[in-house]
Amino acid sequence: MLHSKLKERAGKVLFAVTACICILAVVAIFLFIIIKSIPALSKIGVFKFIFGTTWKPDTSDTYVEALTGQYGILTMIVGTIFSTVGALAVGGSLGYFTAVYLAFFCKGKLKQIFNFVINLLAGIPSVIYGFFGMRVVSKLFYSLSPTGSGSGLLLVSVVLGMMILPTVVALTKTSLEAVPNPYYEGARALGATHEKAVFRTMVPAARSGITAAMILGIGRALGETMAVVMLAGNSPVFPTGFFQSFRTLTANIVLEMGYAGEVQMGALFATGGVLLVFVAIINLLLGLVTNQKLKEKRKEKAKKSRDLFGVLHQKINFAKVGKYASFVATAFAGVFLVTLVLFVLINGLPHITWQLLFGEFEFGGEVTIFPAIVSTLMVVFISLIVAIPLGIATAIFLNEYTKKGSKLVATIRSAIDILSGVPSIVYGLFGAITFVVLTNNQMTILAGGLTISLMLLPTVVRSTEESLKAVPDSFREGSLALGAGKLRTIFRVVLPSAFPGIMSAVILSIGRVVSESAPFMFTMGASLKPMPDGFLSGGTSLAVALYVLAGEGLHLNEAYATAAVLLILVTGINLLAQYVGGKLKRDGKKKKVKKAKKANLTQGQEQNV
Amino acid sequence: MFRKKKQTSEQQVQLNYGQNISVSDVNLHYGEFHALKNINIEIPEKQITAFIGPSGCGKSTLLKCFNRMNDLVEGCKIEGKFLIGEVDIYAPTTDVNELRKNVGMVFQKPNPFPMSVYDNIAYGPRTFGIRNRAQLDEIVERTLKQAAMWEELKDRLNKSALGLSGGQQQRLCIARALAVQPKIILMDEPTSALDPISTAKIEELCMELKKDVTVVIVTHNMQQAARISDKTGFFLLGELVEFNDTDTLFSSPAKEETERYITGRFG
Repeated sequence: MLHSKLKERAGKVLFAVTACICILAVVAIFLFIIIKSIPALSKIGVFKFIFGTTWKPDTSDTYVEALTGQYGILTMIVGTIFSTVGALAVGGSLGYFTAVYLAFFCKGKLKQIFNFVINLLAGIPSVIYGFFGMRVVSKLFYSLSPTGSGSGLLLVSVVLGMMILPTVVALTKTSLEAVPNPYYEGARALGATHEKAVFRTMVPAARSGITAAMILGIGRALGETMAVVMLAGNSPVFPTGFFQSFRTLTANIVLEMGYAGEVQMGALFATGGVLLVFVAIINLLLGLVTNQKLKEKRKEKAKKSRDLFGVLHQKINFAKVGKYASFVATAFAGVFLVTLVLFVLINGLPHITWQLLFGEFEFGGEVTIFPAIVSTLMVVFISLIVAIPLGIATAIFLNEYTKKGSKLVATIRSAIDILSGVPSIVYGLFGAITFVVLTNNQMTILAGGLTISLMLLPTVVRSTEESLKAVPDSFREGSLALGAGKLRTIFRVVLPSAFPGIMSAVILSIGRVVSESAPFMFTMGASLKPMPDGFLSGGTSLAVALYVLAGEGLHLNEAYATAAVLLILVTGINLLAQYVGGKLKRDGKKKKVKKAKKANLTQGQEQNV
Repeated sequence: MFRKKKQTSEQQVQLNYGQNISVSDVNLHYGEFHALKNINIEIPEKQITAFIGPSGCGKSTLLKCFNRMNDLVEGCKIEGKFLIGEVDIYAPTTDVNELRKNVGMVFQKPNPFPMSVYDNIAYGPRTFGIRNRAQLDEIVERTLKQAAMWEELKDRLNKSALGLSGGQQQRLCIARALAVQPKIILMDEPTSALDPISTAKIEELCMELKKDVTVVIVTHNMQQAARISDKTGFFLLGELVEFNDTDTLFSSPAKEETERYITGRFG
């Protein structure tokens, strides 16, 4: 039995060590980015870097000689803030009203359909949003534009807004639906109309959840890279008008990383560092919002302001306006999605050819995305064998081994929160100076896979933990009471019961890998490449291929076709995940119903006997 | 009995788990809450001992000490001595899993694992190293017969245990506990979630079981205690008020609280 005790202890240590990888990753990301940016910052000067308004890098600048280029990123900081605010104005308000509509005004089949649509919207790769914005939305704005260009702040705000909409809707809806129903009944019993009960009672009760949703939306908009690059115009100047070309911090990295000189490279890492500062601020804000103690105080304040607003509300009958706004917002989101899907499919499907899908790659020859498909599969493979075991082990440690209030657990959890907030392009930067260096300074599929694995970790941990939590404690007790050790209990009883939930996490991870592009740009390759001959050769993922094709503009038909392939693939994967997740829930219910029926039957039989 | 056990018995001192439980001077705290106060009790072998008392009186808590399930509760502190046969079960050298193999447990709500009937029964033996299919088949058949379920389940061994009725599930859990040949079986309100007919079957089963094992049962149902148990302990606010032969305790209780409780004046 000594042997088994040793095994138990070894298991626990192993899970704990794995869980600490999250902390390690956060520390490493911050540390590496900071170390890489220090020489450039000291050469340029921190003040000049942050408050300088001219970005004119010189690739021949080195740390030894005097600088000839100028490295000020204030224009981009402002650009990032403006585009984030714009995205929040569009996506936040639309998302808020859509969530209210879905939670309180929409019923039955329609509700199912809309929920489904919003979920699909969440899975669409950002390059497709960018591509759609470029080809369609910008054309719409072109006619309004006084500058003769559709791209700029307005375009970015609208498209980014639609990108953050699913996040805002999902979280807002959850917190709205968590408001206890007696609040609603109480309001109706006092004579309030349905709209008034919703907008004056239910929505205010969910205030802190809605704020959290908005903050997460901000985080998403802030870190978005590829779509912004495709839509912003990218001149390093202040965004002075809605149709004025501008550049964000994330875009700056993507645009110049590929050919950056020594100091320029350092400045780009420092740009990543500034992004991380923004992320840290957002995490702090989120912590404040979800903090219980502060909640109380804020509630009192909110009450006062609500009384003030209450007068206004009554004057303009906010509830009624809100009701119609929520209809319109939901319709808009639906129309946007349908247009996007139809546009991509109608333009793309006719151009999907054998040559495109499975043709032989030739430099300068006809376009084929066969290598990209293979590279994508390879990177999916790597990310799964790395991220899934690590994520599951971490979730097991958090859910099965830890006691409440442990400092280690709190640290791991905040590490996971931070990881999930780090912009994808910063993962790309990190991968470029760690995994790429490890694989012989070559951009390789292995490096790309490892980079995206880190990015998947928080999602895998969280969803695995959810499904572990759903396993009833009575299963664990039953197993332990039979003399089984903890490890046996976890592997024989808990994990098999949680398997379906873990499976849908795996499928969602695949979808995420297929749709990501920014982390691959400097770890795997940012141009169309020939067929990879192993994990140590470079590759282009499908999403990156679409970015390249769309950006070149030489092979538009092929770009449409690639977008269609990507869209179908990602949507298919997400549907599968929903099916697996949903089927399980339904099976569970069915089983319960069956069980109850059977129990009744057998009871009846027994009584007859 | 089991191959594994023979191997381990050579490696370490033979632990002689008996069938009687001896509890002396036990105090248990859940954090600040004093849940068991100075408990002394001798539970005889191969009899049914029932613990009765109102909710929160500590009867389940004491039961869970016998197989150390309280180890899973955060902030639970136990003082005093528990002997099962000659084994001090809270001694640092005691292997908890070995203890739980000898002291089985059946819970309030049936908790079959989401596996087949066969795998549920085989879970315990497999835990202790039995992999041989023929041997497992034999154990499954023997325990299901012991639990009087063989006839109704022999054709459904490969069906999911979750498809059984609540009463069947609970009896399956008893069979599952029997499969590792425990010396003692603890039952924590095993029939509180069941209908009267299933309850009767389980009570019948308990009477059968006491030929081979000691049964300790916690129950809310005084009639149940009166019907099946040989000894009854009455608990109130963490204290063992009275412990006696069941007949004596119900017909002429020594303490006033006991009388008030069994005549239904409180609790």
